[in-house]
Amino acid sequence: MRRAPALFLTVMLLGLAALSMTGPTAAQQAVRGGTLTFATGADPDSLDPQNTQSNPGEQVNRMMHENLVRFSTSMQLEPALAESWSSSKDGLTWTFKLRKGVKFHDGTPFDAKAVKYFFDRVLGDEKPFKASLYAPVVQSAEVVDPSTVRVTLKQPFGAFLFIMAHSAGAIVSPAAHQKWGKDLALHPVGTGPFKFVEWVKGDHVTMERNDAYWGGAPNLDRVVVKTVREDQARVLMLESGGADLIVNIPTEEIPRLKKDPRFVIESNATARALFIVMNVKKKPFDDVHVRQALNYAVNRDAIVKELFQNNAQVIPGPVSPLQNGYANLTGYAYDPKKAKDLLAKAGKSSLKVKLWSPKGRFVKDYELAQAVQQDLAAVGVEATLSTMEWGAYLAATKAPADNTDRELFLLGWSPSTGEARWGMFPILHSSQLAPKGDNRGFFVSKPLDDAIDKATLAATEPARLGALRESQQIAINEAPYIFLISPNMVVGSSKKLHGVVNLPLELTYLSEKSWKEK
Amino acid sequence: MIAYVTRRLLLLVPVLLGVSIGSFALLHLVPGDPAQILAGQEATEEVLTRIRHEHGLDRPLPIQYAVYLGNAVQGNLGISIQSRQPVATLIAQRFPFTLRLAFLAILVSAALGVVAGVVAATRRNSMLDLAALLGSLVGISLPIFWLGLLMMLVFSVRLQWFPAGGSGTAAHLVLPALVLGAASSGVIARMTRASMLEVLRQDYVRTARAKGLREQIVIYRHALKNAMIPILTVFGLEFGYNLGGAVLTETVFSLPGIGRLIVEGIFARDYPVVQGAMLVVATTFVAVNLLTDIAYALFDPRIRYD
Repeated sequence: MRRAPALFLTVMLLGLAALSMTGPTAAQQAVRGGTLTFATGADPDSLDPQNTQSNPGEQVNRMMHENLVRFSTSMQLEPALAESWSSSKDGLTWTFKLRKGVKFHDGTPFDAKAVKYFFDRVLGDEKPFKASLYAPVVQSAEVVDPSTVRVTLKQPFGAFLFIMAHSAGAIVSPAAHQKWGKDLALHPVGTGPFKFVEWVKGDHVTMERNDAYWGGAPNLDRVVVKTVREDQARVLMLESGGADLIVNIPTEEIPRLKKDPRFVIESNATARALFIVMNVKKKPFDDVHVRQALNYAVNRDAIVKELFQNNAQVIPGPVSPLQNGYANLTGYAYDPKKAKDLLAKAGKSSLKVKLWSPKGRFVKDYELAQAVQQDLAAVGVEATLSTMEWGAYLAATKAPADNTDRELFLLGWSPSTGEARWGMFPILHSSQLAPKGDNRGFFVSKPLDDAIDKATLAATEPARLGALRESQQIAINEAPYIFLISPNMVVGSSKKLHGVVNLPLELTYLSEKSWKEK
Repeated sequence: MIAYVTRRLLLLVPVLLGVSIGSFALLHLVPGDPAQILAGQEATEEVLTRIRHEHGLDRPLPIQYAVYLGNAVQGNLGISIQSRQPVATLIAQRFPFTLRLAFLAILVSAALGVVAGVVAATRRNSMLDLAALLGSLVGISLPIFWLGLLMMLVFSVRLQWFPAGGSGTAAHLVLPALVLGAASSGVIARMTRASMLEVLRQDYVRTARAKGLREQIVIYRHALKNAMIPILTVFGLEFGYNLGGAVLTETVFSLPGIGRLIVEGIFARDYPVVQGAMLVVATTFVAVNLLTDIAYALFDPRIRYD
């Protein structure tokens, strides 16, 4: 009898070995067919790409619509509906050669006229929400021939291709837009691998395979995107087989799910930067020494390792590594002694501050603020931490300077164009001060403004990257924020699911190549 | 009877007026800008201004309320700021889910609660009584969130009997109904027990027993029927709460019901949706209470409404 457990164990191990041998070892042949259920945390806000503002909306749109150019998963630009493009020397004219023979889901041909229609829409009177990305930049678009479009800009714009690859740069069927008008949001028609079937608000969006897709017919028959608000409920749905794919897995569930052979848990870096904004209109945060001291006080490596269990990375400045144009500069190393010295030099050996943080808007946001609070306490800065519901938080951190008592507050920024200029301009340029813009800490620096403007107007790629590097260096030196980390996006799926696309813009979606084992 | 119902229905007018003023005032007291939440952190001032203008949010509050009331009286509850769909459509889509859930849950709690209460009362101070009391206490005290997740863990993940949330089939409603029903069954069991004990002491029960009636008939036809009035009151209240406040159950099980509509509306500061849904919830609450009052007469012929 005493040998029984050993025998049992041997059998188990043999069984496991046999299982792992039959498991997905070599590259498997994709299987056609099947319905995929994807559980996400919120309902799309709209399915009209030019009016969509949220990630749950954008990721559904990206399955049905396409842009002229698109992002690879490493945030590089690649051809999509445009096969190639070129720009004039002065950076003012861009010419796109379009893919031929592509049709929208309603049968309308995709051609130069459809692209011009897109530009006319975002530049015209309708003013969809996302027109603000294009209207300041683009002058006009003209049809050269059925497969060539020429776009004229108002001024050179270094990040032009990035705004074209933005989810809002998706080309929708002109016929559908004419037919539905504002209701296009409920009747999306694009060229993507999946066609719209239905949207039951608050419950799910269903899409089906577009057999006429130019990149080859998709493998999956149907994709159902379900809204499941509760984090734990999504995990349970994955475990019960009710969902094949889930997003925003709570950090504490990751180790357990990783051990489960039925699932694949992917942790991917994102473009998002998290930081603590300092209101520089409040003393003593007008003093750069104080701002630098607070930066030295925080132990980012410990935060990444302990709090995020390595599902995050340290950022040196306001820009995270996956934003195109990120410069690998040296940030603030953890140095509490230096922090104390700098504070003493500023005459602030002990300091009482207010620290605000949202709770549940970003992964582990409140816990992150708590960690910072502890680090600050160690250098004599006593922070009282308070939280607010997100809507109230957004309002409270945007109030004008003479009508607020905010001092330090945690925020995240993920530039939806995927590049560093949009990672800095809206939040640090002096033209963007709150309450009008998103510069919520009222930071004003002429050199930084100039460097960002230079990046904006850059006509060549090296000029753009150089100016972005300069901007990041100035931001680091001036320390308008306590720079913290970039959190990963953690996506879980059934082991039977292959080819999930995780874009660092915190977008998860399926492509024509995605497939599911039977 | 008709006069009574009419009188009660007329009372709805001040109730709804109060609810509309209350929800409007509370919503606007809470800081937060619907336009900013809708358009996201990146939105430009121009876009925000346009959204505010489109939904009349740039007008003075009393005027906003007057416009809202004027439209509501004509049956127009406005357009959702978030989804641009008519609020009436959103409510019409969501309400059936909540209604089904509330109905099933009240069946569950009736079955569990009344039986447990009767058994406990008839076997007072026995182990069964103790078990029923304890069970009802647990039912009342268990957080719905926790119970819901636990049920999903057991019945969806382990046993794979029911889907772990979502909607569409009848199977999707089983777990939510059990969870929501369990919560109210505790209250109903306690009320049933107390009311039954009261009635079982009455002379007419002794008379019934003295006549030699079977215990079953004594308990169910004579005692329970007379003990029903307070139980019915609790039924009505619980049903009313479920119709408007099954938020937690709906959230855990991802049911697109009216409770979630309200909560999501609050987070998004979607004023028209929250106000419209509050009116509907208040109306159903009043209606359920009215039906409860009418039902009293069925159980106690001495109660007449005239």
